[in-house]
Amino acid sequence: MDPVDVQGQSQGEVCSSLRERSISENSLVALLQGMQGHVTTVELRDEGWAQGRLQNVDAFMNLRMRDVLYRGHNMGHTSKLQDLFITGRNIRFVHIPDHMDVLQTIQTQLQRIHRVRTFNREGGGGGRREYCPKKK
Amino acid sequence: MRLILCSNSMADEVEQQPSTNTVEEPLDLIRLSLDERIYVKMRNDRELRGRLHAYDQHLNMILGDVEETVTTVEIDDETYEELYKSTKRNIPMLFVRGDGVVLVAPPLRVG
Repeated sequence: MDPVDVQGQSQGEVCSSLRERSISENSLVALLQGMQGHVTTVELRDEGWAQGRLQNVDAFMNLRMRDVLYRGHNMGHTSKLQDLFITGRNIRFVHIPDHMDVLQTIQTQLQRIHRVRTFNREGGGGGRREYCPKKK
Repeated sequence: MRLILCSNSMADEVEQQPSTNTVEEPLDLIRLSLDERIYVKMRNDRELRGRLHAYDQHLNMILGDVEETVTTVEIDDETYEELYKSTKRNIPMLFVRGDGVVLVAPPLRVG
């Protein structure tokens, strides 16, 4: 039986946690989130690397990747993995594909985050307000 | 702190900092180097030279036209001489995680 994706986020879906959204929109992790769905190489702190499709990136830069070619630091060979999870702390570099427009990707991702916020707001005031109006 | 972006093609920034041209905190010094070539010293004897496209408060950075230099020291078994070797690599566009960054400076001028 195939494991069911708990998060199951398709490209660009924004995390539902307010805390993670705030962290993402104030840092360059937003770029990595916009890169979800693309194939990249992630270089690790321990000298290994993983090349595959970015499935999901969270605010802490934890990654999930699919169809990955992975070489650990002490391995002389690469392994093919269907699914790989990398902790954000272990990342050193992420290669950005040549065809990617950095500015556009970030702007799109920030728009997606803002859209989630306004969607909640539009519920006739029934939605949870994320920005409190300034109190006097 | 808001995201600072600089693009070659577009004049506008994605998010504006409360617009100030004065250097108030150390990160403002990095802001002065946006879209310039910089030198980044990283942990594990690595150095990067590239064009700074973006940075954030964690010092996550996006560098373009990067040259990475990895320096290793080999010690000769007999003479105990230190042999410094460096390996270079070029990457067109790179995202650097901030916790690996030690310092950021203008590119070193040789001589």
